[in-house]
Amino acid sequence: MSAGLSRAVNVLKEVIDAPIASYFNSCVHCGLCAEACLFYTESGDPKYTPIHKVEPLRRVYEQEYTLLGRLMKMVGLVKPLTDEELGQWQELVYDSCTMCGRCSMVCPVGNDIVYMVRKLREGMAISGHAPDGVVAATKRTVEIGSPMGVKLPAVKAQVGHIQDDTGLEVPMDQEGAEYMVLLSSMEIINFPEYLSAITRIMKQAGKTWTLCSTAFEATNSGIQIGVSDLARVIVSRIVDGAERLKVKTVISPECGRAYTALRWEGPNLIGRPYTFKVQHILEVLDEFRAQGLLKTQGFEEERLTFHDPCQIVRRGGVIEPQRNLMRMVSKNFVEMSDPSKYNWCCGGGGGVSANEDAEEIRLIAFKRKKAQLDEVKPDKMVTACANCRIVLEEGLEHYQMDLPVVGLTEMIAEHLVESEPGSQKE
Amino acid sequence: MDAALFLNWVRGTGLQIAVFVFLLGTVWRLFEIYSLGRKPDLAERRHVAGASGWHTILRRSVPIPGMMQRSGMTYIAGYTFHIGLGVVVFLFAPHIKLIQGLVGLSWPALPSQFVDLVAVVTLAAMLVVLADRIMKPVKRFLSTFEDWFTWAVTFLPVLTGYFAARHLLLPYTLMFSLHILSVELLLIVLPFTKLIHVFTVWPSRWFNGDASARKGVPI
Amino acid sequence: MRISNDEEFKAALNELDVYQQRRVAAAFVESVLPLCSDVRVNAAVTAVKHPGVTDVELATAYQGANSARIESFTQCGKETDWLAQAGHFVAKAAQCCVKPVEPGDNLAWDAAMAARMARACESVAEGSGTRNNETEKQYRILYEHLNR
Repeated sequence: MSAGLSRAVNVLKEVIDAPIASYFNSCVHCGLCAEACLFYTESGDPKYTPIHKVEPLRRVYEQEYTLLGRLMKMVGLVKPLTDEELGQWQELVYDSCTMCGRCSMVCPVGNDIVYMVRKLREGMAISGHAPDGVVAATKRTVEIGSPMGVKLPAVKAQVGHIQDDTGLEVPMDQEGAEYMVLLSSMEIINFPEYLSAITRIMKQAGKTWTLCSTAFEATNSGIQIGVSDLARVIVSRIVDGAERLKVKTVISPECGRAYTALRWEGPNLIGRPYTFKVQHILEVLDEFRAQGLLKTQGFEEERLTFHDPCQIVRRGGVIEPQRNLMRMVSKNFVEMSDPSKYNWCCGGGGGVSANEDAEEIRLIAFKRKKAQLDEVKPDKMVTACANCRIVLEEGLEHYQMDLPVVGLTEMIAEHLVESEPGSQKE
Repeated sequence: MDAALFLNWVRGTGLQIAVFVFLLGTVWRLFEIYSLGRKPDLAERRHVAGASGWHTILRRSVPIPGMMQRSGMTYIAGYTFHIGLGVVVFLFAPHIKLIQGLVGLSWPALPSQFVDLVAVVTLAAMLVVLADRIMKPVKRFLSTFEDWFTWAVTFLPVLTGYFAARHLLLPYTLMFSLHILSVELLLIVLPFTKLIHVFTVWPSRWFNGDASARKGVPI
Repeated sequence: MRISNDEEFKAALNELDVYQQRRVAAAFVESVLPLCSDVRVNAAVTAVKHPGVTDVELATAYQGANSARIESFTQCGKETDWLAQAGHFVAKAAQCCVKPVEPGDNLAWDAAMAARMARACESVAEGSGTRNNETEKQYRILYEHLNR
């Protein structure tokens, strides 16, 4: 057994717990999970069946944790996992799975398949069978502070730009501020309008807030590829920053995975509960709305629909805030079929969009989203995840659908009642 | 071998072995599974009405929107044979008598003609399930020897029981013995195959539901 | 009147009609055009500067610029090539020049902001600090345009 493989098996042995054992023993091979997975439904290829994606994990479980499995391994009735097989599974685990979680919602025996994929990724990563790009992204996050190589000067450049755009100050390292705002690299690089929107909203709501120079990055690709040690380092940076600045709440940006990493996995990675709250920006905005601190004017005239990012909604639990916010600025908001926690993935999360090998299957899988849109025929699509935005735009472009995609925070900010004349459109 | 001797054996020693293996096997397997434990979750939990592992145990029996259109046969045939099995095993007078003899509990039975009908429907549903497994690409792709074997091991007791009750195919004593033998086979293999889902489906649904519930998502 | 801050800049741009806004926006894009090598972006700027440009031509140019913009997003998790990202913002600025206008749009301002982001990306790529003089350049461009 190669060193990489034995490390992988050891890691997988460590992550297997009672739930995983229960799931593997309950699976009756009914195939319903495939019908919930857009990679299968749009391609028709059974290899994308979710429970099949975790077969290496099942083999390790059977051969290490069941008496019968161990006996069968001893007499050669079952074969141990090989490095080559792990290599074959890379495509299934990373190219055609965004960990969207729909499979976990439909399994009749209750299997949480996405949980198993997440755990399998730990073994895949450590044996070197994760896509280079994602491994590199994690390395960059640990060494530089961002998966995409965004360093503080780049953040400051954007801050400068936003201060020009809004005429407002973007606080940095303000101790005692109520909110510490995190950004995802995607927003810093591709969507500066996000921070611009936050700046204006915070001003109107009258809340104190700050960026943190040592912890501006929210994305945690350690979680994405499944390397908990590195994921821990990344979360700790944020925890240290938040505790140093003594903030009450850390705001996770629109990026879906940043939220799940910080809100749900973070405390388990560092081994203790947080001393501060973590909220998604949509939760914060909804709170402001409920408290009457968010004043908007005018309504979008177009027919709008909302794409629920998997990691925020189904996997994150932020379900109603975006609907309340949409209704603040739209009288013509229509839900897609399979809305809210049932929504279909954009197809690009979990490292898939940055994976060149996955481009073909990703665009095939996008047909599911296209079908949803063809049904509801919106004039504009709103979402709240930077990666979803790009993946959606690329998919729409590929299928020649003329449909603008905007971010919800940005749309709310465009409707803010502000004192300066002619500062935003109605 | 004499049919009566055979029947005596399956009803006596055979049954004892089967029940013993079934009980010991089940206890062992459940221990093997659940002793692995689960790490505590340190993230602050959300509390949303209707979201809990217990809710999911029940709610998971209902397909989510869109799934019936995608795979209706799985649900319909699946539910039919599961419910049918339940009726045939637990609401047939001779079975209730047997259970009463073993553990002292009893309850009212359904009329035997009705159980008869349910048995036929169950057999039909199981054949549909088998055909579906052969014909649907995903099911075929996933299926291993164990899937075909456990299908047979579940089908045979219903088939032989039906034949025995109707005095079909073979002389009654022999048919009846085969029925009991097939049940014994089912009991022996249950803990060591996917048939153990009889027990594990409830905690599985609970774990899954709980994991989502703590995030505030009722599933 | 010389323009000395963004409030005046934005207000002055808002006063312009759509035709003038498109032309000023094109001038903003031209200032950062060397940062983008996509021919569709060039084509959009050229189209706008043409005096008799039709709506159909604008729509075609818009499609091209939009595709250029979408294709040049930095993908989530990829290492950022800041110069390439500058090109993305040039494409975004060019898209603003040719997009169909909606009530309340200040497409010259949007183009100006995108052009500034392009310049900011360039300065990040060069490691030359966070400040650049694109803003002042844009004030000059607008001043010259208003006083033509």
